[in-house]
Amino acid sequence: MRPNLTRRTLLGTGAAALGAGTLGLTARPASAQTAVSLQLSWLHSSQFAGSYIALDRGWWSEAGLDVSLLSGGPNAPVEPPVVSGAALVGISAADYTAAAVEQGAPFKILAVAMQKNPFVIASLPANPVNEPADLVGKRIGMALANTPVLQALCTLNGVDINEIEIIPTQYSAQPLLADEVDCLLCWETDLPVAMAMQGVESLTMLMADHGYAVHSQTYIATEDSLANRRAELVALMSGEVRGWDAYREDTDAAAALTLEMYPDAGLDLETQRLQAARQVPLMFSDLTDANGFGWWTDETVAANIETLALLGQTVTSDLWDRSILEEVHGA
Amino acid sequence: MTNAAAGTGRPLATGRRGAGGYGPMLGVLVLLAGWELAGQLLTEAFVLAAPSEVALYLVRDWQLMSRALGVTLGNAAAGFVIGNVAAVALAGVALLWPRSERVITGLALLVFCLPLVATGPILRVFFGPGPGPQIALAALAVYYTTLIPLLVGLRAAPDSWFDLVRSYGRGPMSALVHVRAMAALPYLFTGLQIAAPAAFLGAMVGEFTGAERGMGVLTVRAIRALDVEMTWGLATVATAVAILAYVGIGALARRVLLEAPPVILAAPAVATGRRLGGWIDTGLVILLALGGWAGAIWAFGLNPFFAKGPGDVLDALVFAPDAAATRATIGAALAESAVYLIPGYIAGLLAGAALAILLILVPAVASTAMPLAIALRSVPIVTTAPLIVLLLGRGAVGTIFLVAVMVFFPSFVACLQGLRQAPGQVMAVFDSYAAGPLARLVRVRIPAMLPAFFAAARMAVPASVLALTVAEWLATGSGIGSLMALSASLSDYDMLWSSVVLVSALSALGYVLVGAVERRVLAIYAPEQLA
Amino acid sequence: MAHDVTPPPEVVCTSLAKTFAGGTEAVRPIDLTFAAGRTTALVGPSGCGKSTLLRMVAGLENPSAGRIEIGGAPPRATLRRAGLSVAFQDPSLLPWRSVRGNIELALTLARRKAGASEIDQLIDLVGLDGFAETRPAELSGGMRQRAAIARALATRPGLLLLDEPFGAVDELTRRQLAQDLPRIWEARGTTTILVTHSVSEAVLLSDRVIVLSPRPAEIVADIPVDLPRPRPEDAARTEAAGALIDRVFAELSKGMAASNPPLAAQ
Repeated sequence: MRPNLTRRTLLGTGAAALGAGTLGLTARPASAQTAVSLQLSWLHSSQFAGSYIALDRGWWSEAGLDVSLLSGGPNAPVEPPVVSGAALVGISAADYTAAAVEQGAPFKILAVAMQKNPFVIASLPANPVNEPADLVGKRIGMALANTPVLQALCTLNGVDINEIEIIPTQYSAQPLLADEVDCLLCWETDLPVAMAMQGVESLTMLMADHGYAVHSQTYIATEDSLANRRAELVALMSGEVRGWDAYREDTDAAAALTLEMYPDAGLDLETQRLQAARQVPLMFSDLTDANGFGWWTDETVAANIETLALLGQTVTSDLWDRSILEEVHGA
Repeated sequence: MTNAAAGTGRPLATGRRGAGGYGPMLGVLVLLAGWELAGQLLTEAFVLAAPSEVALYLVRDWQLMSRALGVTLGNAAAGFVIGNVAAVALAGVALLWPRSERVITGLALLVFCLPLVATGPILRVFFGPGPGPQIALAALAVYYTTLIPLLVGLRAAPDSWFDLVRSYGRGPMSALVHVRAMAALPYLFTGLQIAAPAAFLGAMVGEFTGAERGMGVLTVRAIRALDVEMTWGLATVATAVAILAYVGIGALARRVLLEAPPVILAAPAVATGRRLGGWIDTGLVILLALGGWAGAIWAFGLNPFFAKGPGDVLDALVFAPDAAATRATIGAALAESAVYLIPGYIAGLLAGAALAILLILVPAVASTAMPLAIALRSVPIVTTAPLIVLLLGRGAVGTIFLVAVMVFFPSFVACLQGLRQAPGQVMAVFDSYAAGPLARLVRVRIPAMLPAFFAAARMAVPASVLALTVAEWLATGSGIGSLMALSASLSDYDMLWSSVVLVSALSALGYVLVGAVERRVLAIYAPEQLA
Repeated sequence: MAHDVTPPPEVVCTSLAKTFAGGTEAVRPIDLTFAAGRTTALVGPSGCGKSTLLRMVAGLENPSAGRIEIGGAPPRATLRRAGLSVAFQDPSLLPWRSVRGNIELALTLARRKAGASEIDQLIDLVGLDGFAETRPAELSGGMRQRAAIARALATRPGLLLLDEPFGAVDELTRRQLAQDLPRIWEARGTTTILVTHSVSEAVLLSDRVIVLSPRPAEIVADIPVDLPRPRPEDAARTEAAGALIDRVFAELSKGMAASNPPLAAQ
């Protein structure tokens, strides 16, 4: 199915066996590997390159896990495969997870990859949006479904949303470039990157810098898995932590690896490099420097609960469960 | 019994003996020139790539593109085979056990009306990683448009042929082998021809559910990345493949068959005289649909978090404390969609009829217009929906245009064949009065066209709903298509399933209603079709 | 060539009647015996029910009352061993098969075999030499009917049912067929039932003419035709034939007149 992966896995195992042989150890037979799946939230790209590194370097197979990275897509919600057990862990976001929990899904957030929410307001230098107050009188292009997000930002910053003209657009930078809108609600790592690659310089105002605190790219698992498959969760997450730490050290290499592993994904190296670099500030902070990748504190959770309340979602700190991460970083 | 107006029309879409072989080339050239011009003018707008740019892109990235094409084509072919085999099997059951026909077609219609947006994720959970959902969606996209003409074709033989078989002491099996199978072939080819582009579209949409490679994956990537050359390159390749499949099956049909494949002309399955029987069948369809739905959830142990049963939907829509709010949300979304759907549907039907009439009055246009019409129809909507909405603006025009395109082609082909079917003797009478082409058109040809027009109108109902929901989901972000996508991302599966039920039921109802209008019209203009 | 030629059966209809589901009475109870190896013509005004009678004998239509025995067995048994052939009013040729292909299909259906030369002879006999590989769409109406007759003969049936088989055949060919066909079924000893509305054809071709009334069909007259065979082309102009033809006409008119008063009274 994935010739590249198979080849890599084989090579990796071969190398590991060689190494083990010289050390006089026996290699773990392939059959002893536990198969688990990690459901990604979007198509393969350097957005998930930390996981690719963990896979590529055999960190999971060393720990006895045979990890499949399941691609996401525009019509591939993350929650169902995690609930049904098809995936052990899924990559979601605090707001989506909260919505699923409200609908009865027994999810916990195990770790937070994006400490800062990637939502930005993107604009062009000639007509910039540098802070929320600049939105007044502007035409913003966004999916109507994201109105609560803009509303939350406005509430947090004392801006009257009625002063902003919302223009429903599809998720594309084109309306901004065609001057149909003055700014876009989008992710730091996709549409601005696409514009940059087309030679268009844009400004981004990170909503997280203006009080919009919603953990993104969160790792979720079911309560049942937390109770009964702890060892696998710990092994999976420690691979992730190692992978993302390695990613941070060399994002260009991570982007190159992404292309190497997924040659059919239609990725462009320059775009992937830029995207990989741009998501570093979202994922790593003083907090993670002090405590390790994926960490959160009661304070960041409290901020999340506050923002989620503005989005109409009532959650408690029970939604987060740090026990796996503590085991990973404690070990 | 349903009966078919045997297609005696001339071969379509190919200009086999078209006057002058330059017509089709001219059409393609006109198209390319217009496209190139528009592409050059709109370079700065990031919506349209000129053919020269597309060609350059395809030369540069042909390896990536051919790998993606291989994957999608493979899945589409698998789905094409499975869906058509299923259609043949269903038709076989309906033939051996005629009592079951209306229940089978009713259930088949309901399943065909299930919106892609909603079935995709469920199929992904069901199949897990791999090509399962792509193949399943391709199969789902084709089986109905094969089943219906096939059912007609299997009966499209005069009684005396069956008498002949019986007079030699042979039974239904011999009749099937020697008469029905051969008589059904033209109808089967008609179905296959429509199925080919549909299977490709289904496979592409299936890739949205988490595939790693394929044309659909690349489409999403290209649109996000503002890569206009790649987007139009994908649309071009996908369209070319769909056209080739359409033309290829047509060519095969002409090798095998004596006459051109007929237009699908099944009188609607509803109300075959016995009102009571009709109601019983409808009830049976609903019962079986509900039973199959609940049974599948139970049998496959689907998780109740996302797999909602009939009871859950009834609860969400009627009994739950927030049922009124749910109904209001879905109702508002449906109303929003209807505003686009109905004008697009009617515009598509009328445009198809109008072009067909134009071709009859000015036959020289035919060889130029035909390739354009096929190309327009074969463009996979998932690649073009976002582009067309960008190109025509986010207002009503883009969405209405998309719906109209989906409806236009079947209407056009059917009307053309209907117009050409005008009875020769009646035409001769008009000739003897020296009636002009317009009088002939109004008094003879258009009435003769009506049965085909309505058959197309009926079959276009599910297609138009598909176009609308895909456009809303991928491009405009409004209406029921968007509500379904949003509900899935917010895990509001009660809302999603309720929407699915209502969309499917309304589509099926629309189909039946158009069928009812059709019967009233046929009773006046073509009573023999209802015999 | 070895053929399992079915011996010609006697066909006995006892109190045979047909009323259609809609209530239309097509055939009043009829007692009629078709002698083995002889040719019987059924004559009557169009729509009188003679085709229905033929279809019942062929086992294609179930009688509402009475019964039919072919060689002492019900029609179904004869059908099962493909012991009869029907040439329908509508030639019913399959459009995707050539003339030869249609004949071969009949042989396949009847589980019979015939050599290519035998099929060629039949095709020649009905005047279609040169058209063996032609598809029905390219034949005239009369040629199609002749192909259907050839097909009916191909299986060498013991019982041959002909339903107005010359309706679309041109006069010249019709004359030729009237010469050739009786020779075949005489040589083979076939029991033949011929439905026609041509009185002279009935007299020339058959050993006996049954005149039927307008619908519902009843037997108006049963007229033996004792003209010597073979009957040359001008046999119809002999005095004996003329008398027979006049008599059949007279009986036909009588039958028509008998059914008129109730119509006029309406």
